[in-house]
Amino acid sequence: MAQRRVLILGESPLTEEYSSLFAGTGWQVHMLAPRKGAGGATRQPPAKGVTYVSRIPSGCSLALELTVTDRTTKKTNLNLLDRALARTIPMASSSVTVTVAEQQSWISNAGRLVGIGALPTLLNGTIVELATSPRTDATSASAVSEFLKALGKEPVVIGDSVGMVLPRIIAMLANEACFALNEGVATRSDIDAAMKLGTNYPFGPLEWTERIGIAFIHAVVRSLSESFGEDRYRVAPLLQRAAALGMLPG
Amino acid sequence: MKTIGIIGAGTMGSGIAEVAAMAGFDVLLYDAAPAALSGALERIRENLRRPTRSGKLSPASATAALARLHPQKQLKPLGDAEILIEAAVEDLEIKREIFRRLDAIVSPQAILATNTSSLSVTAIAASTGSPESVIGMHFFNPPTALPLVEVVRSSYTSDATLRRTVDFAIALGKKPIVCHDTPGFIVNRVARPFYGEALRLLGEGVASVETIDRIARLSGGFRMGPFELMDLIGIDVNYAVTRSVYEQFFQEPRFRPHPLQREMVESGRLGRKSKQGFYRY
Repeated sequence: MAQRRVLILGESPLTEEYSSLFAGTGWQVHMLAPRKGAGGATRQPPAKGVTYVSRIPSGCSLALELTVTDRTTKKTNLNLLDRALARTIPMASSSVTVTVAEQQSWISNAGRLVGIGALPTLLNGTIVELATSPRTDATSASAVSEFLKALGKEPVVIGDSVGMVLPRIIAMLANEACFALNEGVATRSDIDAAMKLGTNYPFGPLEWTERIGIAFIHAVVRSLSESFGEDRYRVAPLLQRAAALGMLPG
Repeated sequence: MKTIGIIGAGTMGSGIAEVAAMAGFDVLLYDAAPAALSGALERIRENLRRPTRSGKLSPASATAALARLHPQKQLKPLGDAEILIEAAVEDLEIKREIFRRLDAIVSPQAILATNTSSLSVTAIAASTGSPESVIGMHFFNPPTALPLVEVVRSSYTSDATLRRTVDFAIALGKKPIVCHDTPGFIVNRVARPFYGEALRLLGEGVASVETIDRIARLSGGFRMGPFELMDLIGIDVNYAVTRSVYEQFFQEPRFRPHPLQREMVESGRLGRKSKQGFYRY
């Protein structure tokens, strides 16, 4: 049997994690990416089993779109994939900041799009959340389920909702910690220490924000805010600032 | 500091008394109800019996710790204590009355600490003539097992009071974390979304109780999922904390309780203690 090929698009902290997972289980990974990375830096040489490509190659049996922070890019990428790939090829798209239903409204072959969700650095967890819409066809959903299982992950089916399950909970914990930090309730390290000691969380919410990525957390809260339109989900001013700075103050 | 006073011999008061006695402090334990005092002493004796049997604690140390506990039916003798920890019911008027009475009998150097989890330390401090000596010491339940103490400084608290309280918490073997007097302090405030978002995910039909808990544990690395944890804490207790933070922030929507919490409480499904909560036990 020929080696299976997966195409990965989208700048995200998860991009590297998924590509090494696929490469590690015998897939040929094609990463569609400009030759230069962020800020014009030359990319790291690809890992074994991974190649950078500048156009969509033929023979892929699966595509992943992992953009989380930038909607316009995500829409462009999904359209690009939808036009180039045979219509039976399933597309797994990170659906943490935009619903499966909305993404499907952007493309022609809506039925092939399946939502996936996991947090960066947490791919070493055993679960990946999986969401579909009523338009998703069953064969695409089961194909995505199967590839997740082949990667050693358990797909857990949830409803199609912005933030999915874990990203929503953790992003809102982080957002509240940012409000508390901004109001001077305690120092950054004391907020983290108190949460670990008082609740047994694996990480303090602020150090967790940095591990996951400030831009990622910020994108989740902002999407919840836009999706629900409720004051409950407004972005903490400090998180807004941190996303612009690329670092948490304090 | 050798002698401390504790006001209130309920779960928290007796737990703090046990910690302090084990750490070598003489403890004057006051409760207006004689049954509460005898109950507290019985609980502590029972708690010390197990480690004594298993050899983790020598019988002599246990006996010495018990001998350092001095139950008091009157408040007056607590005037000799250098630090006093109030662990009465969460009622501002009752706490203010206790602090007024303590203020009249303690030495000028004494620290007056409240174990409140939800009331304003500043409001309690204002009932005394020496608010600079008043501070929050928020222990977590059970105090014998959990290391965290939120040391809550009000706008009145002096630096000396803060420093001595932090030192005292360390002497108890605890991990003090200093924070300002704001609703929910650190933990009860920052933890709210863990429950609040889980309840909303459930209410919106995004995932089931079991699924949300599994994802939190296996994907998030939390020791317990939000629903398992609410069942353990008590859904009524968790609901009360949520309401308290919500109301103190003037109905801030981030802390708004979920109707499902009220429904569970009103139907008597309180979690493990009532054999039924989000799960059956």
